[in-house]
Amino acid sequence: MTTTTQQATQETVAASARNLTKTYGQGDTQVHALRGIDLDLSRGRFAAIMGPSGSGKSTLMHCLAGLDQPSGGTVTVAGTDLGSLDDDTLTIFRREHIGFVFQSFNLLPTLTAGENIVLPLELGDRRIDDAARERAHMLADILGVADRLGHRPTELSGGQQQRVAIARALITQPDLLFADEPTGNLDSTTSAEVLDHLRQSARELGQTVVMVTHERDAAAYADYVVTMQDGRIV
Amino acid sequence: MRTVFLASLRTHIRRYVAAAIAVAVAVAFVVVVGVLTSGAHSGLMDGLGAPYRNADHVVSAVGWPASVLDPKAAIAFTERHGENAAATGRATLPARANGRRLSETTVGPIATSEEWRWQKLSSGRFPAGTGEAVVDVYFALAENIEVGDRVRIGEGAAARDARVVGLVESPSPPAQAAMYVTWPQLLQWRDHIHLTAVAVRGEVGQLPEGAKAQSPEGFAAERLTYVQNRVNSLSVMLLLFAGIALFVSVLVIANTFSILFAQRLRDFALLRCIGATRRQVVRSVRREAAVVGVLASLTGTLVGIGLGYGLIALINALTPTIPMGAAELPTPWLLGGFAVGLVVTMVASWLPTRRVVRVSPLAALRPDTAVDVHTATGLVRLALAAILLVTGLTLLGLAMVQDSTALMVAGGGSVFAGVLLFGPVLVPRLVRITGALLGPAGRLATKNAVRNPRRTATTTASLLVGVTLTTAVLTGMATWRSSLDEQIGRDHPIDVALTSPKEPVTTDLLNRVRHTPGVEQAIPVDGAVARVAGLDKAIPVVIAPAAAQVARDGGAFARVEPGKIGIDSEAFGKNLSLRPGDRVTVHVGDRRAQLQVAVGSGWGPVGVVAPETLATLTDAPEPHAIWIRASSGADPAQLGGDLDELADPVGATIENGLRTWESLDQQLGIYAWSALGLLGIAVVIALIGIANTLGLSVLERAREHAMLRALGLTRRQLRRMLATEAVLLSVVATLLGTVIGVGFAWVGYETIVKRALSDATMQVPWPLLGVVVLIAALAGLLAAVLPARRAARVTPAAGLSLD
Repeated sequence: MTTTTQQATQETVAASARNLTKTYGQGDTQVHALRGIDLDLSRGRFAAIMGPSGSGKSTLMHCLAGLDQPSGGTVTVAGTDLGSLDDDTLTIFRREHIGFVFQSFNLLPTLTAGENIVLPLELGDRRIDDAARERAHMLADILGVADRLGHRPTELSGGQQQRVAIARALITQPDLLFADEPTGNLDSTTSAEVLDHLRQSARELGQTVVMVTHERDAAAYADYVVTMQDGRIV
Repeated sequence: MRTVFLASLRTHIRRYVAAAIAVAVAVAFVVVVGVLTSGAHSGLMDGLGAPYRNADHVVSAVGWPASVLDPKAAIAFTERHGENAAATGRATLPARANGRRLSETTVGPIATSEEWRWQKLSSGRFPAGTGEAVVDVYFALAENIEVGDRVRIGEGAAARDARVVGLVESPSPPAQAAMYVTWPQLLQWRDHIHLTAVAVRGEVGQLPEGAKAQSPEGFAAERLTYVQNRVNSLSVMLLLFAGIALFVSVLVIANTFSILFAQRLRDFALLRCIGATRRQVVRSVRREAAVVGVLASLTGTLVGIGLGYGLIALINALTPTIPMGAAELPTPWLLGGFAVGLVVTMVASWLPTRRVVRVSPLAALRPDTAVDVHTATGLVRLALAAILLVTGLTLLGLAMVQDSTALMVAGGGSVFAGVLLFGPVLVPRLVRITGALLGPAGRLATKNAVRNPRRTATTTASLLVGVTLTTAVLTGMATWRSSLDEQIGRDHPIDVALTSPKEPVTTDLLNRVRHTPGVEQAIPVDGAVARVAGLDKAIPVVIAPAAAQVARDGGAFARVEPGKIGIDSEAFGKNLSLRPGDRVTVHVGDRRAQLQVAVGSGWGPVGVVAPETLATLTDAPEPHAIWIRASSGADPAQLGGDLDELADPVGATIENGLRTWESLDQQLGIYAWSALGLLGIAVVIALIGIANTLGLSVLERAREHAMLRALGLTRRQLRRMLATEAVLLSVVATLLGTVIGVGFAWVGYETIVKRALSDATMQVPWPLLGVVVLIAALAGLLAAVLPARRAARVTPAAGLSLD
């Protein structure tokens, strides 16, 4: 009975957090960024984590993505307890299972757009074979940057840079795609495009997407919204 | 602006540490040279005039050091004055102590009267007459001689025994010797004596020809100036190396400042935005440079003083024969070193600060947060580089044609400056080519390495300087050595020649020689004892058809044409009256031959003739010499001593050519290795520079590294990436430096070496150069250790929240 429930849970849940806490500092200056979070992120759906600044949403994302160690509780992604991994295995896990889109795009200035997209594969010492190249082209096509692949990030607009970043995040077919304020540096038209692409990724490619944002308009694109305040889900 | 200046100093001072170390090392170098120079000066001052303190006049050669006193005339002059004169000088003689052969020993006179005696007794007593000797303490220490030991000075008939009655200190370079005996005893080796000066009391009278009389003060001043000039020219040489180190530090500091200022361009723009004038901003950063300069120069000066005095103490402890006085602080040197450090820092920061001026206030308002400093290579720079390269190459060509060292130095400097200016174009291309060999793993590292061409070029330039010079020195040394080897082979074809002038050598002796450790091959040399007109003593005339087995010149010296006789000019010394081409009569018993003299050196006191010639002189040749080839690595002194033990009892003498070989080899080695050691300082500064550039770039790229970590780059991969970057930079600099260095060495060979040694061939020590490249790569790896560790410590999340 329990086993079947767990299996069912694994099929529908991409990641989960149990009693997650994160505390910075000590004594008087102690800050509780997360105060016991329980959360399940459904597979193949587009979730938005919302909240004002200081609500702990970025910390939650960092913990879920294995970028930061929680002070207490567990994070499970694709059936793996992240707390049980050391830095190297965690890094490799991230490389294989998690994709990122950042607010400030974070493309490597020395690489072309195309090279930036396949970078995660290269970091894993994987050969860039025809299948990978095909996938990169398909993603670039979907995201509308296919004709910009030979350009450097400085020669791209903000929207284009962010779409290249999305393509880079999707190239490894991650279990989870995190987007941290992906529209923070974009104007409203471009923002709409980027959000559309994220929603498309969930609907058409079956990609689990978690977006952190403080913009209500952006959150409206998501399938469901998790709202945070003072380190708790409300 | 004061608050801004102070705050910025507080925040950034740690980033200047590496640059400050570079300056401090160079300044310390200058100061150490200064302390050593004045230490050597004061060391030489002490005691120099002691032998002449009670003289009214000092008689020495006119035109010294080019000409010297004629020994016979000077001895006669001294004798004429009797008690009113004391000579200083020495005779170089073979000597034995307690039956053990000593290295060539200098023997000087010691006066019996208190007023002429200048040596200071440290144990025992002064000699009272013939048969007694005192030994210099340091020589005694080195050769293990004690009071009461017996020494035998001289060889053959001129050998005299003496008892060591005391040990003395003798701190006057013109008069110094290893042993001292009374003047009458010294005169027993009259033919070997060289006199430097004669101290005279009262009237000088008739001077020997070519001699002049001076006051003792005048004489001391003359000698002192000469020695000091030699010390000073040594100091100039050392300063040359210090200059190279300073130049390298200029590159390191300039690079540090331009990187730091580039990173802070937004801050400067912000300051301009809120109303700071250009002058204010520039003054603030220049003041920062001045603080770094002052602190670094001060540290360098203090370290230099400490190191300098430490070295003086060390030199005094290790080589007591080189007098090093406890110098007082050489203030001009200290001030000079400090000033040079400060000026160098200010000059190196000048260009980078000028770029700060150009920042527009608007830069602060632009949203773009990425610090990606691209520097373009100006056309002016390229044109200048091209002009310098063409001029330099032309000058080098001219230098080779005209054998002109001045043109060579000018041309070399010009070419090198051209290469440095051309760096931003050349170096990134070379890095890309080298990086391509690493495959995809090195791609990120390669791209990072060439991201900022000018920064890359300056970083590598600092190493390039050191490596180019190192390579040139190594290649020059190899070339010089191989040609010297040839020349020494010609001058000293036989390692050790054992000659028995009267009795033939026995088979037993030959066997014992062959079984002596360090002997690789020994051949008996047949001949007959002959009287050669013009030589005081009978010598064996010999034939050596088998000489090729032992000779270093392939036996060429022993292939004498019929009708000639080969005489070793060194074995007979200065008293050889025979000149090449002289016709002499050679008698063996009642047979005789007219032979023409041919002069060479390195086979001992025998005449080498053709077999036909010997056949006319004797029907029964007997072995009169044993010629020995030492095995490689044999200790010349040990081997010479061992063979002497065998030779002495049977009345044979030995000529040790191996010892000359070794001392020349050692000298060359000492020159080359000290040059390399001194260049090493420049190389160390350059490596500090590489570590520094990498460290500062790591700060600049913290965000990028965090992102790469988030995307799945492991710590190890990140560290490897940075290490690859550093290794790429150092290997490219080293390869380029090796090519240029070998080129320079070739020019130097064509210009200088070929003129000095006509049949020298260029030798490139490839394995050694390979080692240099390997060391550079390892050093690059080492330079990356700290920056890479720091970079890898940043957690992905922390890096992303950095701004």
